Amino acid sequence: MKLEEDSMADIESSFEFSSSLTSSSLPPPRTRIFKIIVIGDSGVGKTCLTYRFCAGKFPDRTEATIGVDFREKIIEIDGEKIKVQLWDTAGQERFRKSMVQHYYRNVHAVVFVYDVTNAVSFRSLPSWIEECRQHALGQEVPRILVGNKCDLRHAAQVSTDVAQQFADAHSMPLFETSAKNPYGNDDGSRNDSDHVEAIFMTVAHKLKSQKPLILSQPPCGLGDTVTLRRQDEEERGSWGCGCWRS
Amino acid sequence: MKKSRSVGASSSLNGLGKQDGESRRKRKMAEITQALSVSPADVPALRRMAISEGGLLTDEIRRQVWPRLLNVSVDNIPEQLETVDRDNNKDFNQVLLDVQRSLRRFPPGMPDEQREGLQEELTDIILRVLVKNPQLHYYQGYHDIVVTFLLVLGERLATALVEKLSTHHLRDFMDPTMDNTKHILNYLMPIIERVNPEVYDFMQQAEVGTIFALSWLITWFGHVLSDFRHVVRLYDFFLACHPLMPIYFAAVIVLHREEEVLDCECDMAMMHHLLSRIPQDLPYETLISRAGDLFVQFPPSELARERSQQTAVSTFKDFELASTQQRPDTVLRQRRMEQQKRTMEAQRSTVAVVQSTGRRFMRLAVMGLTVALGAAALAVVNSALEWAPKLDLLFP
Ligand SMILES: Nc1nc2c(ncn2[C@@H]2O[C@H](COP(=O)(O)OP(=O)(O)O)[C@@H](O)[C@H]2O)c(=O)[nH]1
Ligand SMILES: [Mg+2]
Repeated sequence: MKLEEDSMADIESSFEFSSSLTSSSLPPPRTRIFKIIVIGDSGVGKTCLTYRFCAGKFPDRTEATIGVDFREKIIEIDGEKIKVQLWDTAGQERFRKSMVQHYYRNVHAVVFVYDVTNAVSFRSLPSWIEECRQHALGQEVPRILVGNKCDLRHAAQVSTDVAQQFADAHSMPLFETSAKNPYGNDDGSRNDSDHVEAIFMTVAHKLKSQKPLILSQPPCGLGDTVTLRRQDEEERGSWGCGCWRS
Repeated sequence: MKKSRSVGASSSLNGLGKQDGESRRKRKMAEITQALSVSPADVPALRRMAISEGGLLTDEIRRQVWPRLLNVSVDNIPEQLETVDRDNNKDFNQVLLDVQRSLRRFPPGMPDEQREGLQEELTDIILRVLVKNPQLHYYQGYHDIVVTFLLVLGERLATALVEKLSTHHLRDFMDPTMDNTKHILNYLMPIIERVNPEVYDFMQQAEVGTIFALSWLITWFGHVLSDFRHVVRLYDFFLACHPLMPIYFAAVIVLHREEEVLDCECDMAMMHHLLSRIPQDLPYETLISRAGDLFVQFPPSELARERSQQTAVSTFKDFELASTQQRPDTVLRQRRMEQQKRTMEAQRSTVAVVQSTGRRFMRLAVMGLTVALGAAALAVVNSALEWAPKLDLLFP
């Protein structure tokens, strides 16, 4: 399923910037972009999860995310290459009000993350949901709930039952996983599939199935309104003036 | 997350010829020693040293000069640091989380035990300053600044300097909200626009925003640079300058990467990605003098006026306060400023104009900034008397 991956940070060379914006006469085949924002309290493992998906491994070290970090990966679904962009956000509340807004624009899906070993992070979820609401993300935008750090079962403070009830109440699917050991084996061995990858792939499938209706916002988008556009409008509209080829 | 550490990569940070560099270094050391030995210390000279090529050279010198730049009187720091009540502290959890994740800030070869001890001290410094100053609010990234002070100065001195810095240079970042931080970020694009409209237009078109520079600004680049020597060099510079200098430096970095930016896909995500990852081999000395140059050409007040932006009021106020209160030569400066004012009020004569512009020009020349100062800036310096207050802020 996985064609390419970018492991962010140091591997800048894996990004190939299209340098022939003007020279090609035929419009290049577009790669669709699914933009997913990842939110939740500080320390729940947002950076690790997004890194796990894009780089295929658990980072040796993470640092506090200041503002917004961006990671991406090209996937393939039914023969179509799709670029999945993950926006990894700062968890500290003060960053959210004035800083993170910009990144809610054109978001196609939302991943809420809590830490199963930290009840506070679970209790914060309503305020994260509220934040989404304030950014005028409509109900059509797929949302999922991820309980992270399941490798620390012994220290769990949030039971699956409680989390499932919450997810049901908000019509979201719940996934419990671990960015550290997404294979579900105690030794971390890789004879099973990567659960974290499966989660993000599920979101991507969901988004793909929504075609031809792709949610997006007006390109010059200072307004907060969300509009549903048809795919062909989308093609002309909102992904900037450049083109991306993979 | 950036794992590449270019430790020991470059032996000569300044790219000077070895001999030439060595003798200049010696001369600079002597000048710094001289400026420190007079009583009161020659702070303007120290400021100059901190800005000019190579900065303050060694951590040993920094331990003596940084307190002077912040006007912290070392003798008045209590021997015994206050103990910290971690359990009843609202910020403790967040601070702990960030400090635990700050491994990259410590020298790579440091034994775990020593690093863990320093991390404890780091947490304590932060909490101590926050408890003593309830008007200050912790932000993620503050720890990146404090760790630099800790590593250079040790816990006791670092506590005193960080407290001063937090109530002055960092004050805006520590408001209850980040609105003022956002206002400061709003200076970035106007600076870029003045220097390179093409880059500006392209970035605007991509709608990249300014959050890519957020961590640069609020950590003084401590969060994004891997080589500690580069970090302290920049801190020399910023400590000696106006609190808004980091935003000028941010602009200079973007401008330095003009080609990459223009080659980038005109898309928010791609450009954010490109810009937020700083190349580790930047020509720091050149960029520093260029930032100083831009500050002189496009002072904050001018950018604020023309863009009719809300300025970061507290920054200005605090810094003015600081620079008037702190200078040992306050009285002299006041007298001089009053004189200037009087001269202006009295329909200043040509002679007076020539005299004061001449003095400012001299001052810039002394700063070593003229090396990088473009003709345009010189012209402005030579004609604009109204600059006096701004230059006084930059080089009190
Ligand atoms: N045991 C365990 N630790 C994790 C997992 N995911 C993240 N962590 C740790 O939790 C801490 C915070 O992770 P980070 O991704 O930086 O959190 P963020 O603030 O949400 O981005 C780090 O020390 C990670 O090593 C996980 O699945 N299992
Ligand atoms: Mg993070």
